[in-house]
Amino acid sequence: MVAFDYAPAIALLPFASFVIALFAGKYMPKRGALAGILATGGSLVLSIWMAFTVAGGETYNEELYTFVSPEAFDLHLGILVDPLAALMLIIVSLVAFLVHIFSLGYMNDEGETGLPRYYAGLGLFTASMLGFVLADNLFMAFMFFEMVGLCSWLLIGFWFRDDAPPSAAKKAFLVTRFGDYFFLVGVVGIFVTFSTATYAGSESFVRLAEEALAGNVGAVNTFGFEPQTWFAILGLLVLGGVIGKSAQFPLHTWLPDAMEGPTPVSALIHAATMVAAGVYLVARMYGFYALLPTVLAIIAFIGGFTALFAATMAVVKREIKQVLAYSTISQYGYMMLGLGVGGYVAATFHLMTHAFFKALLFLGAGSVIIAMHHNEDMWDMGGLKDRMPVTYWTFLAGSLALAGIFPFAGFWSKDEVLYEALVHGLNDPLLLGAYAMGLLAVLFTGFYTFRMVLLTFHGEPRSETAKNPHGVGWNVKLPLAVLGALAVVAGFINMVPVAELTGANIEFLHKWLEHGITGVTSEHYGELLSEFAGYQAAELSPLIPAVVSLGLALAGAGLAYVLYSGASPERHTDRLGSIKTLLMSNYYQDEYQVWLADATTRVARAADTFDQGVIDGVVNGVSSVSLFSGSRIKRVQTGVVTNYAALLSLGLVALLVVFGLLGGWF
Amino acid sequence: MVPVQYYLLLSAGLFCVGLFGILTRRNALVFLMSVEIMLTAANINFVAFSFQHGNLTGQVFSLFTIALAAAEVAVGIGIVLVLYRNFRGVDVTEAATMRW
Repeated sequence: MVAFDYAPAIALLPFASFVIALFAGKYMPKRGALAGILATGGSLVLSIWMAFTVAGGETYNEELYTFVSPEAFDLHLGILVDPLAALMLIIVSLVAFLVHIFSLGYMNDEGETGLPRYYAGLGLFTASMLGFVLADNLFMAFMFFEMVGLCSWLLIGFWFRDDAPPSAAKKAFLVTRFGDYFFLVGVVGIFVTFSTATYAGSESFVRLAEEALAGNVGAVNTFGFEPQTWFAILGLLVLGGVIGKSAQFPLHTWLPDAMEGPTPVSALIHAATMVAAGVYLVARMYGFYALLPTVLAIIAFIGGFTALFAATMAVVKREIKQVLAYSTISQYGYMMLGLGVGGYVAATFHLMTHAFFKALLFLGAGSVIIAMHHNEDMWDMGGLKDRMPVTYWTFLAGSLALAGIFPFAGFWSKDEVLYEALVHGLNDPLLLGAYAMGLLAVLFTGFYTFRMVLLTFHGEPRSETAKNPHGVGWNVKLPLAVLGALAVVAGFINMVPVAELTGANIEFLHKWLEHGITGVTSEHYGELLSEFAGYQAAELSPLIPAVVSLGLALAGAGLAYVLYSGASPERHTDRLGSIKTLLMSNYYQDEYQVWLADATTRVARAADTFDQGVIDGVVNGVSSVSLFSGSRIKRVQTGVVTNYAALLSLGLVALLVVFGLLGGWF
Repeated sequence: MVPVQYYLLLSAGLFCVGLFGILTRRNALVFLMSVEIMLTAANINFVAFSFQHGNLTGQVFSLFTIALAAAEVAVGIGIVLVLYRNFRGVDVTEAATMRW
């Protein structure tokens, strides 16, 4: 198909905007913003074209460039466009496009300096993420995964002259790197086990693993382990990278600090790129995870726990972006829960709706922050509802979606995740526990979401800036309007409860993910789950769980309304006493990780001593011996020609003597 | 007929005289002369062996050597001139500034 010839351009266009912004940005009228907008807009158009082509039944799985030929290790760059990738491409390029437009209002109009660097970072970030989505093998995915991490470091630390952003950037980089070490080991492990790391096709590692578990081990090397055990180890290693990037417990600590970056960057990181990369990776190689019930249970449990754990912390935060940060961690917990309980479509659905409403909420928060002259404390806001109506209504739509209120996007997707967790959990107590945590988190989500909305927009203004907020331009309102509309309607593509009730054929996302390349479809994953992981779905109407979770969300929202709806609400969190201190300190996770890091300092010091003493000692010794002997031996060259002549003659005599002795002349 | 050994002794003597000159003298012109003497020693060897074997190649070679020696003297005199210009003398031990 001709459309797929342009697939590399989806990632190359933002890369071009990176190059342009970096080298020519300072000569351009908007400092590289226009290049970025054009490039991501081009990517969006191409992605939509890909999606239409995929909808026509075509898929694409080709190698583009080979590093090492397939005989030993198959290291290559390639492109895989199937329904999942096409969907993700649209999400990423759409959010990136809107973030670029929003940046005009947030960065250019606010008179920031260093804009070419900013737009170069955004371009590279988008390019890396699109490359990651297009990748057809784990090796290429790992390369782009690391580039995404690098870009997050560049962008979170954009305001590098202040104290906090560089430190937050370092933390984000190091914490995700820690997960990536496991990922790297996992990728190498997959290479030595299967000799390939491609996702799709009959020679893919996913298919080889499936055959190995079915008894046909073939050339798969499991190092003496049972295939099931060994694959679980590999799956957990790769999961390390996912937990780091998708900010799951216990590696979630970098994400709230990453709020130090510019707000559009937060929107890009948390909605569509970096954090989504982890969940996308699990979805991408779901055929592998579907074989491993142990790993699936771990994913589900981590996801459910993270959803609840992060939601409780969001309840007490003062800064609007902090609330959103913890809600992001919590929502990605739901996606992991969905993947872990076998709800591949549900998790993908939540990934999509979350990308839209979370990007909307971050951009809305950015709009509020512009209005508040970069004050993020919600206790200084209030009453912004009448002063910035566009932001208010779109933000409200996003909040309703986040809280999971009918009929906004988040309701449908979160409900489907929870439904999948429940129907599989009825046969497995561990999954039921994960479901219970996810369900309880709904209550907290409703509460903190509406606490945020009420404190920010309702009541009386609590500061001078809130009385006279700074206005925002079209470049802020347009992305908000687009995403606001999507936050309302995006859920309608997959209304499972309605489909069950009416029998109407409207589960479009299920149908979308069912076709594609053989072996990487949701249908095949379902077979794998029941055959290898032993997942059995209980018969249950989706209506009752939906009503339960909606009721909990409404209860949370109602509680927030009761507590915070007055003209000048009280600080009810103070009444929590020591629990508030615990929550404000994020359960002392940072302290405990710093303590862990400190505890390993002695090992690091010993390694440093070894490096400085032995390794460097040998290198330095070799060079100083050469230097010293050179400085002595050069004295032979006197520059006096007579000495040279004497040495020549003596050499000749010596040679003659040696020949004479050896030749037996004497 | 004089035996070839005498020619060889003469040649070796001349070579040693040339070598002695190079090793002991400092004057560049004496250097050149010493080199000429060593070349002459080589020529005598060529001619002596040519005569011994009845083969003319050695004599032809000595002609070449003479021509080459003339060219060498031309280059050598040039070097001596430059030496004189730069060091106000022709003492070869003075010209030791291009070492380390």
